[in-house]
Amino acid sequence: MHDPARRLPGEGVFSLLLTGISLFLFYQATQISGFEALSAPGSFPLFSTGCMVITSALVALRTLRLPHSEEHGWQAILPGFVIFMTVLMLFYALALKPVGFLPTSFVFLLIATKVMMRTSIARAALIAALSLILVYVVFRLVFSVLMPEGIVPERELISAMRRLLSGGAE
Amino acid sequence: MDWTHFFMSWIDPQLLMLVALGTFAGIYVGAIPGLSVTMAVSILISFTFSWEMFDALSLMIGIYMGGVYGGSRTAILLNIPGAPSAIATALDGYPLAKKGLAGEAIGLSTTMSALGGLVGIVVLGIGAPAVSEFALRFQPRDYLLLAILGILLVGSLSGESLVKGIFAGALGLTIGCVGLDPLTAQERFTFGQIELWGGISFIAVMIGLFGVSEALMQLQHVDTAAVKQVIRRIVPEWRSVVKYLPLSLQSSAIGVIIGALPGTGGDIAALMAYDQAKRVTKNPETPFGEGAKEGLIAPEAANNAAVGGAFVPMLTLGIPGDAVTAIIIGAMFIHGLNPGPMLMIERPEMFWFILGALVLATFFMLVFGLTGIRLFVKIVELPRAVLFPLILLLSIVGAFAVNNSIIDVYFMLGFGVLGYFMKMYGYQVGPVILGVILSRLIDDNWRRAIISEQESLPRLFHGIFTSPLSAVLMIAVILVFVSNTPLWAWGKRRLSRGRS
Repeated sequence: MHDPARRLPGEGVFSLLLTGISLFLFYQATQISGFEALSAPGSFPLFSTGCMVITSALVALRTLRLPHSEEHGWQAILPGFVIFMTVLMLFYALALKPVGFLPTSFVFLLIATKVMMRTSIARAALIAALSLILVYVVFRLVFSVLMPEGIVPERELISAMRRLLSGGAE
Repeated sequence: MDWTHFFMSWIDPQLLMLVALGTFAGIYVGAIPGLSVTMAVSILISFTFSWEMFDALSLMIGIYMGGVYGGSRTAILLNIPGAPSAIATALDGYPLAKKGLAGEAIGLSTTMSALGGLVGIVVLGIGAPAVSEFALRFQPRDYLLLAILGILLVGSLSGESLVKGIFAGALGLTIGCVGLDPLTAQERFTFGQIELWGGISFIAVMIGLFGVSEALMQLQHVDTAAVKQVIRRIVPEWRSVVKYLPLSLQSSAIGVIIGALPGTGGDIAALMAYDQAKRVTKNPETPFGEGAKEGLIAPEAANNAAVGGAFVPMLTLGIPGDAVTAIIIGAMFIHGLNPGPMLMIERPEMFWFILGALVLATFFMLVFGLTGIRLFVKIVELPRAVLFPLILLLSIVGAFAVNNSIIDVYFMLGFGVLGYFMKMYGYQVGPVILGVILSRLIDDNWRRAIISEQESLPRLFHGIFTSPLSAVLMIAVILVFVSNTPLWAWGKRRLSRGRS
């Protein structure tokens, strides 16, 4: 979608933001060990952030001189789905540890599927549940990845299920 | 007997299964538009870091080999390259499918991909020990120049502008500096936060830049309906295989060379091989762009040959050949291995194991590529509205699982959003990850080089221009840089005008 001859909405602001961040990081690099020696801990960060400052400034200067793109509006840069999913992911990340993997993931998948597929809540719940079972079996049970338990007593449930499957023989 | 490790993945049932599973998954990951091998491997690394090294490598190698090939399928069937390495495949693959020859096109591309893959592996097997031995003579300044060359190459070849490429590479280098200085333990970009002393988890950066940002990009096409396909016979005729064998070998050679250049990968190899095929094929049965089989075979052989090529600089110099090998280097770091010339001396069994696993993955690629087409069509038809929330969920869980730290998740989200805007505005994210991986190597070698020259820049440059190897590398760096400047373009225009 990016046309080097046209400026997309927000591109100028983004390039200026990158220049600002680069300048800030360059200033931070000067604070590491100053300019005391070429082999000092700050010399390489000075080089890398210096490159960032020069290149981001060049990009910003070039971008700000470009004519605006007539074809694409803000909707093309930041569609509703992208904003929605980013916010949803942020909430998911915030809730993951206190609430736990299973309930948080189910709600995340349910909301995302319902909104994006524009389907009924029952169908979305079924898809979310099946997806979660797949992820859980592959990553938690096969790959043994530790997930935050939160409010679900997961370990007790797994051991109870194992007892049940082994016919209570313990 | 280190070479016996070549057969390790062949005889150990668990490793065999992992290579098979990885290749199978890789084909589908590569085939589904929007999912990339880089994305899959970066998410996978967070789940396999606690595994045995051989297990983790088996899975990753399978995914890499399968994924590079898998992109061709959707390129042929839907005119949507599943992976960047299949862009050139679509040019003639899709016209073939429109003529009702989809099965034949898939069969040929599978066979030639396997052949290309094998050529790449043979070159890796012969070339890597030689390069590794030669690399023992490298001075710190040579490593410094080689790493800079890698970042410049990936920045200039994969994006619309070198300036943006350099910015992305420098950003990666800066991210790699965060934490305590490895030599003096001085804080760098930590802002007084103890959590940043250990640096930013490069897995979080990778998942953010390759997983989340790509999934967010693909959300723009969430309403795109899946296209249904009907395919019949795909096993190619022996006659066709023999007929196109010379072209396939030639394209494989291009693929290996391009793949072995630091920072370049299968996508560039495929495009160059396509271009070469156009030049050497004098009278194609069908014109290029309208369904020429040569235009399908050349990129497919080249992109898989580039896999073996990409492992050469990775294993011998510790410099990734492309984004996926950058991630595999990360995985090796996690497992306490240090890719570079010493790896071949200290852990030669790793080299033999990788070689054997690559051959096995190529075999599985051929088997899975010529079978299971019905299942393939079903999976590719999976709605994006189901697929992408799942990928985003795995990204979050993956970033969390590495250190059980929610901070890593926030970093991953931050880099995901940054990567989204970077891609949107024409920046490549590949150089960022290359910069993160190479940051330590460049920093260490810069300091070693300058200390050995008693902190004198003129002496360093004198050393560079009086050593043939350093001089060649320096000239390569200058050439890559200058060839991307407006001055060079102006000179070329003048030259062509003068000729005409």
